[in-house]
Amino acid sequence: MRFFHNTKIRFMEYRWHWIIASTVLNLVAIGLIFIGPGFKYGVDFAGGTQLTLKFRTDPDLGRVRTALEALNLGDVSIQRFDEAALHQILVHMQNPKGQEGDFTARMLQALQKEFGGGTGQLEINLQGSDALRDGLAQADPDKVGGSFDERRAHYKPMSDEIMGLRKRVGIIGGADDLRSLAPLSPAVKSYLSASAHFGEFALLAAENVGPVVGKDLREKAIYAVSFSLLGMLVYIWVRFKLQYGIGAIVANFHDTLITLGALIITKRPINLPTIAALLTLVGYSTNDTVVIFDRIRERLRLERGKPLITVMDEAINATLSRTIITSGLTWAVVMALFIFGGDVINTFAFVLVIGIVVGTYSSIYIASPIALGMSNWLDKRRVARRRR
Amino acid sequence: MKGKLAWRWGLICVVTVFAVYFMLPLDKRIHLGLDLKGGIHLVLQVNTQDAVRAEVDDAMERVRGDLTEKGFAPTALQRVPDGNGFQFKPTVNTTGKVLDKVIDDRLAEFKVSRGVEITAILKPEVVRSIKDMAVRQGLETIRNRVDQFGVSEPVIQRQGLEGDRIVVQLPGVDDPARVKDLIRSTAFLEIKPVVRVAPTEEALLATSSGQVPEDSEVVSGDIEDLEGRVSGKEYYLLKKASVISGRDLRNARRSQDSYGQPAVSFTLNPEGANKFGSYTSAHIGDRMAIVLDSKVRSAPVIRGHISDSGIIEGNFTVQGSEDLALVLRAGALPASITYLEERTVGPSLGRDSVNRGLTAGLVGLVLVAVFMLVYYKGAGINANVALVLNAILLLGAIGALNATLTLPGIAGVILTIGMAVDSNVLVFERIREELELGKTVRNAVALGFSRAFATIIDTHVTTIVSALFLFQFGTGPIKGFAVTLTVGLAISMFTAVFVSRTIFETELSRRAQTKTLSI
Repeated sequence: MRFFHNTKIRFMEYRWHWIIASTVLNLVAIGLIFIGPGFKYGVDFAGGTQLTLKFRTDPDLGRVRTALEALNLGDVSIQRFDEAALHQILVHMQNPKGQEGDFTARMLQALQKEFGGGTGQLEINLQGSDALRDGLAQADPDKVGGSFDERRAHYKPMSDEIMGLRKRVGIIGGADDLRSLAPLSPAVKSYLSASAHFGEFALLAAENVGPVVGKDLREKAIYAVSFSLLGMLVYIWVRFKLQYGIGAIVANFHDTLITLGALIITKRPINLPTIAALLTLVGYSTNDTVVIFDRIRERLRLERGKPLITVMDEAINATLSRTIITSGLTWAVVMALFIFGGDVINTFAFVLVIGIVVGTYSSIYIASPIALGMSNWLDKRRVARRRR
Repeated sequence: MKGKLAWRWGLICVVTVFAVYFMLPLDKRIHLGLDLKGGIHLVLQVNTQDAVRAEVDDAMERVRGDLTEKGFAPTALQRVPDGNGFQFKPTVNTTGKVLDKVIDDRLAEFKVSRGVEITAILKPEVVRSIKDMAVRQGLETIRNRVDQFGVSEPVIQRQGLEGDRIVVQLPGVDDPARVKDLIRSTAFLEIKPVVRVAPTEEALLATSSGQVPEDSEVVSGDIEDLEGRVSGKEYYLLKKASVISGRDLRNARRSQDSYGQPAVSFTLNPEGANKFGSYTSAHIGDRMAIVLDSKVRSAPVIRGHISDSGIIEGNFTVQGSEDLALVLRAGALPASITYLEERTVGPSLGRDSVNRGLTAGLVGLVLVAVFMLVYYKGAGINANVALVLNAILLLGAIGALNATLTLPGIAGVILTIGMAVDSNVLVFERIREELELGKTVRNAVALGFSRAFATIIDTHVTTIVSALFLFQFGTGPIKGFAVTLTVGLAISMFTAVFVSRTIFETELSRRAQTKTLSI
């Protein structure tokens, strides 16, 4: 089986059409970034506190908002997270101006005030297994007696079991959910059903980035990305020629800009994992570009005197089936991640779903034409100098 | 040829055995990051200025004490604005000799300038060392607390060699709020003499015309009813100088008060017992306040001589009393702490994302493997073997390097796998091209590999170069990405070039006549 066998497409002939199309797309992306709506920074770069909460039933976002705004701290934004049936939301709150500190506890308290709980009862959906164990040991529904430590030992397997259930399901709906847990004695079950509080929500994750760390993360991310692009440029310069290195870097910027534009349009946040995804895309795009450059270099050695534009077309055609197969396969993998991978890696997969398409295209129509244009311009200058 | 092949297979086997050794058992060897497994990551700042201020205050009180003792109580004693020193006015008739001695005795670490006012500023190198000590002591204290709390595989490190930040990573913690309180709790315990008690601050200061006497301070405490519920507040006027403090403790543990309510009992070291003993026997009938973190916990009346033990009562839960005992044992923090960054991932979110990510990743990989078989037939098996080997070696390397696998790390793995597939595709396409040009099978394989080799090296090295910079300059997640990427690419070069070629050549050497190749 073979696809794209012996193609003779004259890619470079149409290069200007594509360059114009790319320029337009890039200008749109730049407009989206600098004119509006601009990046939606995630908690890593924007700072603030972000909670991922799971509710027992479909949460009333208005009540969540009212509860948190009553704290009068910073701007609150709330959005649903993952499939609707999971009842999960992301809550982000800015730290009050320039303040460092831990706001998680205060946000949780405010939510408890609105949705119930926080009155000193055992909190099945918020407290850890140690707290459950101690609470049970103190109440001692099984009447085991003895010292406190003996009672603790008795209730530990039960609290671990309850915690295990919460780990599996995310949130425990009520005392009925505990019925199937064999290690719990009937007395314990009825005690929990009467005295424990099965809160409306559970905390799945909390992230809090203060202004100092936020600034740090921004700066370090910029350094890391700039230096790695520079390293790449120098390597390609050394192995090929400067114009090829520049072509590859411009292609990287092109891919990154378009993908950033797509992130803005789909209202996805920019945070550290997104940066990792963008770096993956850059790595992928460069790989693709280098494969084509390599073939160009090889052809140039074999067939001296042929015009560069023809050599480029031949090289792109020769590697076309490889380009399509590799891109297609990688694209299928990230598409699987995008569809089935869940919300946590969704943005990562999205970046690559866009990025692989753009990255493959840019190797042919951005990196190569720039190398071509610069080479031709350098040649002309050289000839002109010789004539002088 | 045969000997060379045997040598190549030998190397592949040795490497694989090592990898398998380092990756098994998977759950022990492959450490999942907090984003995948759940747990808590904290960056905290030790407010080192607190420790400097404590040092200055200490010196200030000593100077006051020494001079007052000699009958020359100083006036206008106060800290300088930046907190690194203090100034005072000696009384006019203070003899030079006394002043010299006090300065020599008490202010060796200060730069003293004398005039009408005397200004003492801590020497810069002393400030530096106080701050450094505060961070190191903070690190030690937090480590003690976490160790006693019993978290497995905690990471507690100073960020940078000279910084004032501490990174704490606690995998698998299911009650992050409690751990955070435990770490941050200053747990500064003092026992101070009570001057008087009143229900409001005004009433408290009524007898001293609204002024707080210079040697005293106002501290509040909760009033509790019989069931331990807080029913109000009351105010205490306490002497500033404490009888004993947390430093005098030898041990502390959870216990119960006479009503069976949770409490914390403590024992004192010999020095503390000495001070406490002589104070209590001289003040029978007086009240003393047990002050914890600037709040009066209880203020019992001294009924008799107490030497080396005591009890802290008042509105504890069992867990609260246990945590307090723990932090008292582990020692007080030398300075207060601010949380700069917190990342908590609940265990259920982590597990869920791993499962779904893994399933999706596997679906993708199976797709790739099937395609390779269909498109390249026999050679597809070859590529798939190389891919599987790639995965095993990568896991082995992660295990051997003791690296942590995070979500961005998995991004690195995906890029690696993409490039490994690409390497195989490059080689196979090249072999096909060479076959088309009429080369013999043996020649085509050799040429295919050698021509694709340059490309594979270039693509891999370009990416490794950029990954190294990411490693050097990146933070947490970016670093994790760079690590798996670099390691993965090195392995991918090995499997694509070396392993895949060895399989090809073994196949060719088995057949006498090779006219066809399944590719």
